[in-house]
Amino acid sequence: MGTGTGEVAAFRNVGKRYGRVTAVDGLDLVLRPGETVALLGPNGAGKSSSLDLLLGLREPDTGSVELFGGPPRTAIEAGRVGAMLQSGGLMTEVRVRELVALACSIHPRGRAVDAVLAEAGITEIAHRRVDRLSGGQQQRVRFALAVAGANDLIVLDEPTTGMDVSVRQAFWAAMRAQAAAGRTVLFATHYLEEADSVADRVLVLHKGRLIADGTSAEIKARAGARRVGFELHPGDGEADEALLRALPGVAGLEVGGRAGGVRTVRIRATDADACVAALYRAGLYPRGLEVTGLGLEQAFLTITGRAAADEAAAAPVKETVR
Amino acid sequence: MTTLIRLEILRTLRNKRYLMFTVLYPALLYVFFISAYSGGDVAGGVPAKSYFMVSMATFGAVGAVLTGSAQRISLERRSGWVRQLRLTALPGRAYTVGKIAACAVTTLPAILVVFAIGAVEGVQLSAGRWLGLAAVLWLGSFVFAALGVALGYAAAPDAVQPIVMIVYMLMALFGGTWFPVGDSLVAFARFDPVYLYNRLAAFVQPGQGLDTVAVAGMAGFLALFVAAAAVLYRRDTRAA
Repeated sequence: MGTGTGEVAAFRNVGKRYGRVTAVDGLDLVLRPGETVALLGPNGAGKSSSLDLLLGLREPDTGSVELFGGPPRTAIEAGRVGAMLQSGGLMTEVRVRELVALACSIHPRGRAVDAVLAEAGITEIAHRRVDRLSGGQQQRVRFALAVAGANDLIVLDEPTTGMDVSVRQAFWAAMRAQAAAGRTVLFATHYLEEADSVADRVLVLHKGRLIADGTSAEIKARAGARRVGFELHPGDGEADEALLRALPGVAGLEVGGRAGGVRTVRIRATDADACVAALYRAGLYPRGLEVTGLGLEQAFLTITGRAAADEAAAAPVKETVR
Repeated sequence: MTTLIRLEILRTLRNKRYLMFTVLYPALLYVFFISAYSGGDVAGGVPAKSYFMVSMATFGAVGAVLTGSAQRISLERRSGWVRQLRLTALPGRAYTVGKIAACAVTTLPAILVVFAIGAVEGVQLSAGRWLGLAAVLWLGSFVFAALGVALGYAAAPDAVQPIVMIVYMLMALFGGTWFPVGDSLVAFARFDPVYLYNRLAAFVQPGQGLDTVAVAGMAGFLALFVAAAAVLYRRDTRAA
């Protein structure tokens, strides 16, 4: 198995089924050192399953998963990986400080307990019993466990669930500090603005397959970066759908009819500038012209929607940006 | 690993309900039995205060290890703590070892409190026999710790609780916990680990030595429970 240097993690044609449900379907993926990677996907897309496979909590049915060029368990025992899972519970009947101290002492390169408490923002609640914390506080304790040692990779599954906005911001500040220290960070989230603002690489999973892989900007461009909307009134020029579809940079087109021959046109354009310029060159007079940017959220919905449509159409087509 | 074991022991000792059930309850029952028999003998001519000192010590010890391991392991499998620990550098066995160590620490008070009451009530043994008895009963409790680990990996928390109670009560009923096992029952009771456990204490009775059959039986049950625990643990690890 040719493992190149500088591969933090590698999925090679990984498949995993639970009974009749395919959770992960032919996943190929390499994480490189220092990347901050967001893993997106609707519920049931295979995010948690992929993370379980990555961490060696489950064995793939087909293909192989490697962490730092070896089996996941070896990397975990060497203290190279810190993880915070949604399904990860906490020890009860102990104080926060005791639990964090346990994590620091287990880790082969454990950090100072006070530093970890401070980084996770739980210094004030260090004396409290773990089982008496709120959901958001427990989430921060889980984060502390994930960063209790000098890891090379940090894996987080929906880390900010249950945190309020200010805590969430503090959390991502701590996460950026981890990334700045040269650590690779992989996180699954359903808050797309987090992926947009934190990650330098975004992966989109859909039904166990990787359907997009690129920077947040690339994903948006892939989905059709901007939306061009206008109305065409009678006498504004002859424009049938074929002509509109042939405009440069059109990734999606919707034409609606209105009374009096007015048509509303919505275009998703990868190159909105060229599209609008071509509109005028074609002799059209678009009214109420609006050009708006797509957020990552819309891009995500577009991409996953398209994947679902492709699947319905017939043979699934794999789309990758890179 | 030592940090984990220390923390497991600490949290077990902090759990007041657990201590009540495993230490205080058998001690109270012991006092009750002594007064119920008002200084007499149980069937077979053994003084009630000696007989129930052993049977209540084993009752408390078995209860301590069964609930301490089975229920906690089952609960922590559900809560995801077991999964979280598997994401650390700890070897897989550390968790189970920690649980058994915590159990072993709590069986000691369960045994010693009952012994203390026995001594006050006039049970007389040489210092060597007191020590030997405590050692034998303490070591015997590991058999049930292994059973507890197996049960903890066998079922979900809501199922484990009744299973543990039924197993515990049946083993106690036919193991001589509440009354001496009569001759007609012995053939059956020989396959009850609690009966064998109680038999381990027979050497303190006048004219009796260590019951080697009971020792062999306990060793057999230990091997069986450890094997079952290992199989169930592996099944759980694959399915986590």
